[in-house]
Amino acid sequence: MSGMSGMVATLRGVRKTVGSGSARRTLLDGVNLELEAGKLTVVVGRSGSGKSTLLHLLGGLEPADEGAIEVAGVRVDGASSAQLVDLRRHRVGFVFQFFHLLPELTGEENVLLPARMAGDGAQARERARALIRRLGVEEAASRLPGVLSGGEQQRLAVVRSLVNEPLLVLADEPTGNLDEASGHEVLGLLRSVADEGQSVLLVTHDAEASRLADRVLTLRDGRLAE
Amino acid sequence: MRPLLAGALARLRRRRGRALLAAAGIAAAAAMTGAAVTVSYNLHDGFARSADEAGIPDVIVHFDPHAAGRVAARVKSLPNIASVSLQLEQRPVVLRTRGHAPITSGDLLGTVGTRHGYKIVAGRDLSGRTGEVVIERGLASQWHLHPGDRITVGGPSTGGAVGARVVGVAVAPDNVAYPLASGARIWMPYRVVAAIDGAAGQPVNTALLWVNDRSQLGVTLEQARAASYGLSGVNFVTREGVGVLIDGAAGIVIALLVAVSLGALVGAGVMVVASSRAEVQRRLETIALLRAIGASPRAITGAAAVEAAMVALPSATLGLAVGWWAAAGASARLLEALDQFPRGAALLLPLSVCLVAIVALVAAASAWPTWRACRRPVAAMLRDAELPTGARALRLPAGTIGLGMRIAVARPVRTAATTVVMATSAAVVLLLLGLATTLQRLEHDPGTIGKNYQLTSHSGVLALPRIRRLPGVADAAQRFSSPVADSFQLGETFNLVSYCGNRLRFEDPPLAAGRRATSPGEAEVGQGLATALGLVPGGTLAVQFGDGEEARFHVTGVVRTLDNDGRVAYVQPGVEVCGFRGGQTVIQLKDGADQGAVTAALNLTGNRPATVGGVTSRNAAFLGVLATLLRTIAVIDGLVCLYVLAQMLALTALERRGAVGLLRACGADRTQVGMVFFGAASVVVAVALPVAVLVERLVLGPRAADLAASYATVSLRAGTAEVLLALAGLVLIAVVASAWVARRALAEPITRLLRDD
Repeated sequence: MSGMSGMVATLRGVRKTVGSGSARRTLLDGVNLELEAGKLTVVVGRSGSGKSTLLHLLGGLEPADEGAIEVAGVRVDGASSAQLVDLRRHRVGFVFQFFHLLPELTGEENVLLPARMAGDGAQARERARALIRRLGVEEAASRLPGVLSGGEQQRLAVVRSLVNEPLLVLADEPTGNLDEASGHEVLGLLRSVADEGQSVLLVTHDAEASRLADRVLTLRDGRLAE
Repeated sequence: MRPLLAGALARLRRRRGRALLAAAGIAAAAAMTGAAVTVSYNLHDGFARSADEAGIPDVIVHFDPHAAGRVAARVKSLPNIASVSLQLEQRPVVLRTRGHAPITSGDLLGTVGTRHGYKIVAGRDLSGRTGEVVIERGLASQWHLHPGDRITVGGPSTGGAVGARVVGVAVAPDNVAYPLASGARIWMPYRVVAAIDGAAGQPVNTALLWVNDRSQLGVTLEQARAASYGLSGVNFVTREGVGVLIDGAAGIVIALLVAVSLGALVGAGVMVVASSRAEVQRRLETIALLRAIGASPRAITGAAAVEAAMVALPSATLGLAVGWWAAAGASARLLEALDQFPRGAALLLPLSVCLVAIVALVAAASAWPTWRACRRPVAAMLRDAELPTGARALRLPAGTIGLGMRIAVARPVRTAATTVVMATSAAVVLLLLGLATTLQRLEHDPGTIGKNYQLTSHSGVLALPRIRRLPGVADAAQRFSSPVADSFQLGETFNLVSYCGNRLRFEDPPLAAGRRATSPGEAEVGQGLATALGLVPGGTLAVQFGDGEEARFHVTGVVRTLDNDGRVAYVQPGVEVCGFRGGQTVIQLKDGADQGAVTAALNLTGNRPATVGGVTSRNAAFLGVLATLLRTIAVIDGLVCLYVLAQMLALTALERRGAVGLLRACGADRTQVGMVFFGAASVVVAVALPVAVLVERLVLGPRAADLAASYATVSLRAGTAEVLLALAGLVLIAVVASAWVARRALAEPITRLLRDD
C-alpha cells in the first residue's frame, strides 16, 4: 500500500439528521474523520446507516446540520453555491453505483464532461486520453454507453472522476451493480488511483474492498469506528 | 373503470404541478382560439349585419339643393319604392362643446320624414322639438358626450349658432365613424337645419330611398336617373356600393385579421394535440403496468380521456374567457371606428362550440395515442418508456449546448411536435410583421399602388414645361380623374383616369390580364371594377359622366390596383385631353432628389404641391386600434410559443433528472445547466424558423394577401428584417424557457436528482 502523506479532507463533529417529527433520524452523530492523500479508505455499514450521506457531505452535495468539513483547504460547510461548484469542478470526483453515463455521449465525451464544466479544453482532452489509455478503456471510449457492459461503463465513470485531477475521489458503492469480475477490475482501478497519490473514500458492502483498503471504517449508530 | 377513474383523480391530485402545466397549455391554446373567434366572428360580415340593424337606405341620392316638394314628387313616380326620407345636409358646420376644441368639419342633417338610416344606441330619437340633437357615436366617444349634454352648432353662412341638448347617440353604418370620417355627423329637426342654412323654400339635397325588392334595384336606378332630369349635381350611392367602400376602407386589414385568426386556430389545435401526445408518452410506463395487471385497453383509454377532459374543461373555459377579454375590447373599438356593431351575446354560441371542440380535441388527442399504446405488447411499451440508449452516433457538439441538442434529438416525436407548433406560431408572427410593413408602405409609399409620382399640384397644363425644368423634377403630366357611373348599372360608380402625357410613366399598376391601353378609345380597368361589371379584355366599358354624357371604351386589359379598391379605369380618350381645363399636375422626382427642395421651388412658382400618400387611412386612432388588435394576437402567439417550448424543456428536465444531477455533481453551474436546455430549445428554433419562413412565404402570405385584396397585388412576404426579428423573438423565448426550467432543476438537491434517475 502506498504511503504518500498530506491531509486532503477532515470532518469534525459532523452531525446530519433526516426526516422530521417522529420520523426524524440521526444518520451521522458527531463524526470525525481525516482522509490522507494516497490512501484508500473504505467505509462499511448496514444499508441506511448514512455511508452515502457521508460522501455527499464531503462532496458538498448536501449540507451538514452541524460540524466542520474541510476538503483540500476549503471549508465545505457554509460554502456559497459558487464555492461548492468550484469544489466539485476541481477538488472532488464522484463515482456512482449506477455509473450515470449520459447515453447521448460517447465514452470519451462522458469522461470529458467534468473538464467541460470547468472550462478546461484541449489540455483536458490530452489528460483524458492518457487516463483512458492508462486504465485500459480505449475501446469503450469511442462507443456510446448503451452498447457497453456494466464493467466498462463503471471504468469510464472512474476515469471521468479523475479527469480534473481531484485530490479526493468519492466512490459510492461502485461495484454494487457489477458482477464479481467487473467489480474486481473497478476496485483494482481505485486502488491504483490511490497509489497515484489521490485520496479515495470508498463506501461499499464488498468484502474485497476491505482487503485492498489502507483503512477500513465502520459506520454504526451515526459514528465511525476503526 | 371506476378504479381507473379514481386513479386518474388521484394522479391529478398527486401530480398537481404537471396537471397545472398541461392546463396552462390548454388555456393558452384556448386563449388564442377565443381571441381569434372573437375577432373574426365580430368582423365577418360587419357591414351587412350593421346595415340591416340600422336600416340604412338602399339608395342615397345626393344633388344640389332643391325644393323638397319637387323632389318628393319625382321620387313618388319611381317604381319599387317602399319608403323615402328627404334630407338637408349642411357641411361644414362648426360644432362646439365645453372643454374641447371646436370641430370645423361638422356634418349637419335634417330629415323630412321619419326614417334617418341610423340606429339609436343611447338615449332616444328626435321628437321634432327644437333644441334637440342626435349625435353620431364617433363624436360622442371623442367628446365623451352623453344624452343630456349640450353642444353648439353654427352654420358658416349665417355666422350664428344654436345650442342643442343631446337626446340620443346614433350609429349610421353608411359611413365610417368620426374621426375616421372627415366629418362628424349630427341630426337635428329639419326646420332647425334649414334655419341654420338660411335658405328659403324648404330645400333638400339628399334623398334616402328604401326599395321593396332589392333584386329590381337596377330598374329603379335607371328610372331614378331619368327622373333626376333637371336636378344638378346628382350622385347615386347604393347600399351595396357603400358596403364596398366601407369594407374597402378597412377591408384589407379586416381580411388579414381573419386570416391571421385562422392561422392562430390551426396553431392552437396543433399545440393541444402535441401536448396531449407528450403526456401519453410520459405515462407509457404506467399504461404498460396497468395492462400488465389486467386493465382493459378500453378502460385505460376511457380513463385517459376523462382525465384529459377534467383538465381541459376548466382550463379551456378560462382560456377562452381570457382570449375573448383580450380581443373583445380592441375589435369592438375597430367596429366602432367603422360605425358597425359587435355581435354581443351572439358570440357565446361560437365560443361554446369552441369550448366543446377543445375539450373533445384534448380528450381525443389523449385517448387516441393511449388506445394505440394499449394495443401494443406490454414489453414493447415498457421498452419505449425507457430512455433512449443513444445508440446512434450524432455529429453534434459535445459541449453543454451540443448535449442539449442530443437530448432533444433523442425524443424525435416530442421535438417534432413542438417544432410544428413553434413553426406555425412563428409563421403567424411573420405574417403579422409583414402585414405591419405592408400597411406602413401602403400608407406612405405611392409606389405600392402603382403611382410613380410623389407630388401633385393644382396647376394647369400650361405650367407643365416650367415645372419640368425645376431641379429635382424628372417629369410632370396632367392627370384627369372623373367620378363616373357605368351606363348599364348606374349604381356602380368608379373613377375614370386619363393623362395628358405618357400615363405609363406615371401610373402603371401591374396587368392581370390583356394588354395596356395605348390607342384612343381603349381602357384598362381595375380588377375591382372588372369583377363588379363582369368586364374582360375585349369587352366594352360604357361610361356615363355626371352631366349625362356617355362614352364607350374598348377594354384591352385588367390591372391590379388598390386605388379606389380597384374601381378605376385608365383610358386613352378619343380626343386630346391636353386642351382640357382642370385636372391635377402629377410630378415625378428624380432618384435621390430632395422632395423638400422641390416642394419649396414649386411654392415659389405658385404651384403649391401636395405629397402623394398611399391607399390606407391616415387616421392615427384607426391604425392604433388595428395595431392593438395585431399586438394582442402577436402577444398571445408569443405566449403560446413560450409555453410550448417551456413544456418541452420541463418534460425533458423531468425525464433527465439524473443527467441534470450528474452535470451538477460534475460542477455545472446555473448557466451551464441552462445552456443544456437552451441547446435542446435551439434544435426546435433552428428547424422552426426556416419552416415558418417557408410557410409564411408559400402559404399564409399569399393566402392572406389574396383574402385582403383580390383586386390588387399586395406582397405580404416577410423580408429580412422581419425574419431577423422573428429569430430574435424565438431566441429570446428559448432563453427565457431555458432559464425558467434550469432554475426549477437547480432548486432540487443533487442527491435527490441522482436517486430518482
